[in-house]
Amino acid sequence: MSWKKYILAFGITAAIFGTAFYITARLDAERIADIRATENQISIDILSSETQFELLGNLDCSTVSSSPVLLGELNSLASRLSVAESNLGSSNSDVVQLKKQYSLLEIKDYVLMREVAQKCHLKPVYILYFYTNDGSCQDCARAGEVLTYLRGQYPTLRVYSFDYNLDLSALHTLTSLRSLSGQLPAFVINNRAPVYGFKSVDQLETLIPELKTLATSTSAAK
Amino acid sequence: MDWSLGIYITLFIGLYFEVFLLISFIEHQPAKKTTARPTHFPRVSMVVPCWNEETTVAGTLDSLLALDYPKDKLEILVIDDGSTDKTGEIVTAYHAKHPHIILHRKENGGKYSAMNWGIEHSSGELIGFLDADSFVAEDGLIEMVKTFQEKPEMMALAPSMKVFRPRRMIELMQQVEYTFGVFYKKMFDNLSAISVLPGPFSIYRREVFEKIGLFRHAHNTEDMEMTFRMHAHGLKLSNAHTAHVYTTVPKTTWKLVKQRTRWSQGFLQNSQEYSFMYLNPRFGNFGMVVLPFGLIAFASALYCGGYVLLHLGSSIINRALDLWATRIPPHLTAPHLEWFYLNTSMMTFLILITLSMTFFAVYVGNTIVKNKLTLKSYLSYFLLFGFIAPVWLARAAWGALRAQESSWR
Repeated sequence: MSWKKYILAFGITAAIFGTAFYITARLDAERIADIRATENQISIDILSSETQFELLGNLDCSTVSSSPVLLGELNSLASRLSVAESNLGSSNSDVVQLKKQYSLLEIKDYVLMREVAQKCHLKPVYILYFYTNDGSCQDCARAGEVLTYLRGQYPTLRVYSFDYNLDLSALHTLTSLRSLSGQLPAFVINNRAPVYGFKSVDQLETLIPELKTLATSTSAAK
Repeated sequence: MDWSLGIYITLFIGLYFEVFLLISFIEHQPAKKTTARPTHFPRVSMVVPCWNEETTVAGTLDSLLALDYPKDKLEILVIDDGSTDKTGEIVTAYHAKHPHIILHRKENGGKYSAMNWGIEHSSGELIGFLDADSFVAEDGLIEMVKTFQEKPEMMALAPSMKVFRPRRMIELMQQVEYTFGVFYKKMFDNLSAISVLPGPFSIYRREVFEKIGLFRHAHNTEDMEMTFRMHAHGLKLSNAHTAHVYTTVPKTTWKLVKQRTRWSQGFLQNSQEYSFMYLNPRFGNFGMVVLPFGLIAFASALYCGGYVLLHLGSSIINRALDLWATRIPPHLTAPHLEWFYLNTSMMTFLILITLSMTFFAVYVGNTIVKNKLTLKSYLSYFLLFGFIAPVWLARAAWGALRAQESSWR
């Protein structure tokens, strides 16, 4: 019996495992870099919109209302973050950092959107959605699915989702401004009082009658 | 608890074993078939144990009659183990035309008893066995005899097995599995650690039975027990990979599960009886590698099967509950095609590497037996095997735990 062969086989197997681990880590790092680059781009876009908004003063509403601010980019970023979070875990420091930055961008977009709406007399439909994925909210995943579905059905519906437990002062300010009780999932629909607990598609559509004013994905495609 | 740790351990062990066999393959690649003839032709007795084999025994006898081997050196003994169908009549008709086919009728006593009956009534220097649902290639015996002459220290030889005319998916699945088995058998041969001399066309020197006795009931896996016993007594065995035999395989999932339950349970129960060989360097690679890995593979496959079943089951149930609770109507969502969304977890890579190595093993096996493997064969194997195998393993484990004998049919 040759012990060398046993040891060689062990070495090769360990090397295969090491290579798989290395490739996975590299790809995850690439994903983080990709998200970071997207966040930077969105950050620049928001800054540009804010500057444009301040510069114009008497805003040219026809320009702004015809191009919804960063909606597509934020949605795409959300789904990428979700992949990174599921691969690396919600406690991963990179993921937490990116989520914080994402939440800030959402808040800035939300504030900008409200200011634009006020000046241009627009009536955007938006939902501030608060969740946690620390395991204490059984219904949060389902609530997220419902919102993803609605966002697909109504492309101009703005959904801002926030991890309630994220340690971010701007987010704390938002939750206290909205007088959230801490019960999750929670929805703030168009500046109204918070709604708590899981809601199905039908229930949310009843809660948001304004959805009827929005173009659906099928009508928008025509 | 994160049960995926068990999957990583299983993958490590599985990969280690495959790497070990690949090193063995690189060291000793299987020799190609030659046109050389044996230097002499020893007398060979071919024993065909049968019980109610009226549909296949004629084909088995035809294949034996077609063997490229001197007729005066070949004795064919058909042992009818109390058949209640027309097996006896068919063999009698063959005997009338070919007197060297001899029919022995006995009361039903099980396959091992029919094989022993054949040994006791045979006169050959070499004694081979051929299940009555198997068909040997024309040059099969010549190849066996050549190998015995090239390796005089070998006391028994196993052939390369092929599936006879696979048509259904379940047969195609077994065709790939048997091709994979050809690679495994050859690699085990390189390690001097063949784990079973199969019923179809294994050939023994007469001395084997004189030295260590006849076949035993051995939980309906008499061939496996004989192999274990030979290793225990230091008798060498090898694989004549150029000798091909075709065997009919179960045509339904249930029949396959029953057959494999018997084999797997036999492995567990024989392992128990020969437990002294496990991790015992005295028995070489058979005791150090093949037996322990066989048992680990058994447990790992059960674990993985249970893991996949649980995950799949809970995913389906959760998905159904989600759809019911959310009231999201059925709709199609376009898949993300960017690399970002590809599953690039470590487990995915390891599973792909393991599958690639399995594919390579099938490829090497196929260079030996030259099966006509189609895309449907591969799909049948990769889609079905992983789901069906845990069923027979679980049944075998349960049967062994209850010390219950598996059934033949």
